Amino acid sequence: MNISSALVFGNNEYGQEIAKNVTHKYSSITIFSLEDIDKDDNSAFKLEQFDLSEDWDELNEQYDMDSSIIFCAINEEAKNIFLTISLRSSFKDITIIALAKNNEDANKLKMAGASKVIPIVETTANIITDMLKKPIITEVLHNILYEESRLKIIQVTLSSVDAFTGLYPAEIDWSKKYGVLVLTIVHEDDSHEFIYSSKTKHNYLKSGDVLIVAGYEEDLQNFKHSIGGE
Amino acid sequence: MNSFTRYIVDFAYFLKTSNRYQKRRRFFFNVLENDEYYYKKYFDIFMMLLIFSSVSTLIYGVKNDVPEALDAFNSYIISFIFFVEYIFRLWISSSVSKVIIHQDEYSDLLGRDFDMVFVIKRVFHDKLQYVLSPKAIIDFLAIMPFFHELRLLRVFILFRVFKLFRYTRSFQTFSSVLVSKRFEFFTLGMFASIVIFVSSVLIYMMEATNPASPIDTLYEAFYWSIVTISTVGYGDVVAVSPEGQFVAILVIFSGIAVLAFTTSLFVSAFTEKIEDIKESKTIQDIMKLNQIYLICGYENIAKEVAKKLLRDNLNVVVIDSLPERIENAKRDSLNALHYNPGSMESYKKLNINLSTQVKAILCLQEDDVANVYTALTVRSIDKDVKIMSLLMNKVHRNKLTNSGVNEILYDKEFVGLIAREYVGQPVAFEAIYTIRSEYTNIIMHEIVVTERISQTISTLKELQNVKYRVVLLGLYKKKNKRFFFNPIESTLLETGDYLLVIGNYMFIKEFAKFLSTK
Repeated sequence: MNISSALVFGNNEYGQEIAKNVTHKYSSITIFSLEDIDKDDNSAFKLEQFDLSEDWDELNEQYDMDSSIIFCAINEEAKNIFLTISLRSSFKDITIIALAKNNEDANKLKMAGASKVIPIVETTANIITDMLKKPIITEVLHNILYEESRLKIIQVTLSSVDAFTGLYPAEIDWSKKYGVLVLTIVHEDDSHEFIYSSKTKHNYLKSGDVLIVAGYEEDLQNFKHSIGGE
Repeated sequence: MNSFTRYIVDFAYFLKTSNRYQKRRRFFFNVLENDEYYYKKYFDIFMMLLIFSSVSTLIYGVKNDVPEALDAFNSYIISFIFFVEYIFRLWISSSVSKVIIHQDEYSDLLGRDFDMVFVIKRVFHDKLQYVLSPKAIIDFLAIMPFFHELRLLRVFILFRVFKLFRYTRSFQTFSSVLVSKRFEFFTLGMFASIVIFVSSVLIYMMEATNPASPIDTLYEAFYWSIVTISTVGYGDVVAVSPEGQFVAILVIFSGIAVLAFTTSLFVSAFTEKIEDIKESKTIQDIMKLNQIYLICGYENIAKEVAKKLLRDNLNVVVIDSLPERIENAKRDSLNALHYNPGSMESYKKLNINLSTQVKAILCLQEDDVANVYTALTVRSIDKDVKIMSLLMNKVHRNKLTNSGVNEILYDKEFVGLIAREYVGQPVAFEAIYTIRSEYTNIIMHEIVVTERISQTISTLKELQNVKYRVVLLGLYKKKNKRFFFNPIESTLLETGDYLLVIGNYMFIKEFAKFLSTK
């Protein structure tokens, strides 16, 4: 039963949008609803009812929780936090993405064990202000990140650094050599370093570092092959 | 219609259709009467300087000899300037040509002869109405010192001080506040006058025959009454007889009542008007702004958006139909007005040009019905202004599109897209999020290629972005609205293009400075 599943808690517009956007990644998507399920509901996804007092260990019987992801998208904040903390206590390693109304609730959700929190108000406000202040960048990034575009931003993990021996990342002309742009380097401790930051200027690449690279699909594939990245 | 009358009517039509004449008339109207006209303040300051110089010369001249040149300047030049101003004000106070044209059309309609006598009477009436207005009388008296040889007329220089009312808005506000309570002030004045009159007569009757009393005449009784009722009480004229002292007690009590009543009247008048005064001040401030982001509705998302725009020193104006939200916006240091975003009247009162002064209208009410209504109202005023609107329920998307919204902001969709990107490439997502976050020094920025930049830098090879530690993500070509990722070095730079760069904001700033000053 090794099927990757997305379990979306909250049968509302947020839950539906999340389910719609992750179908390409997960073979099974289930939306859990706190309310009674309408049998005539023509939802494109499998619907199940739940309540907050359930024994979540039962999920192990239905889903392969090691290859699943959970989205907590209940409208009521207190219930969403309670659900997050309940799921985290049952599944220590699973990725839980939770929605929060604002930054205050986002902190509580993080404390409750959410791996990633999306604060709705702040995120929407950020997108609106970006659209106003930097319309072109916003459009370009939107196309790269969310739309069907040949231009991608990917992460490449360095398994070997033989190709870059004796060279600092900022000294390498990535653009000319590989037709890609390296934006940041993510170290093993999850710290992000901009390609031209002072630290990057004085540190060699190590195997295990992750490069965040922008480029066209074919250039990115060639780049991965030529440096032996994953 | 005789030939003279025909000539007058033709001339009136000529003036009405003459752009040159109307432009000049509008210019003088703006300078003299239109508070919103940018250059009016300079004219006002100039006139105030003349007034202060004139009064200073008068004060100096009381005990000193005023130099002849200064005296001439004060008496002739300033008076002449005031005279010219008076004539211009008389000219723009009413339109003679309008009266003539109106009468001509009226006569044509009814098939009657043109009534020149009526026109003369009407014009005379309009002009006389202006001449007899308090402000015009003060203006006229301020010209009087021109005849300074008549010593008495020198005093009229002081009337120039009253002209300050014309040039300072705070005086006008003060007088408008007092006018709003004119009935109460009139009642109070009547009461005080009766008390003064009765007490003056009483004290005169009781004290005038007493040789020990300093009150001998009715004028002295009147003076005593005023000094007592105003609670000033100099003590130079006092009642000495027991009857007179009894009257004094009554007058003192009345005086306290009058004073308390007057004070409370002033306070209540200003309290009642304070919101209007603040609103009119906010509107005046808004009218001076350009590139305004007009936020309709001040709820959760609107608050965050306003905060972020304000942080970048952008001009934000908030309107909302709920007073408590407007109070919140004011507490957040925003220009905020308690106006209904869905009402046409609100935009009229705002008195701004939506096409030229407004960068975008943001309908951020968390209610689709209200946003559709607001968008339709705005679109009916201006066809081109950019409107962005929140969408709360996706079934209403079409309604927002049909009401003329340019960008629809559906937060559920944003959440879905973010979830999609996160599950796809979590590390890349975090990296981009970090780059875009305002709390890091690394930013993504767009630099517009100005004419100056395109003249000095023709191709991307000359950019030197690497020297400034800036990553050039790509070039956005304005001409064909296309984004070129990682463009080749020989790509031409053209005016209006955008360079999309990533880097430390300080380095980007330096890079942008280098481009524009090379």
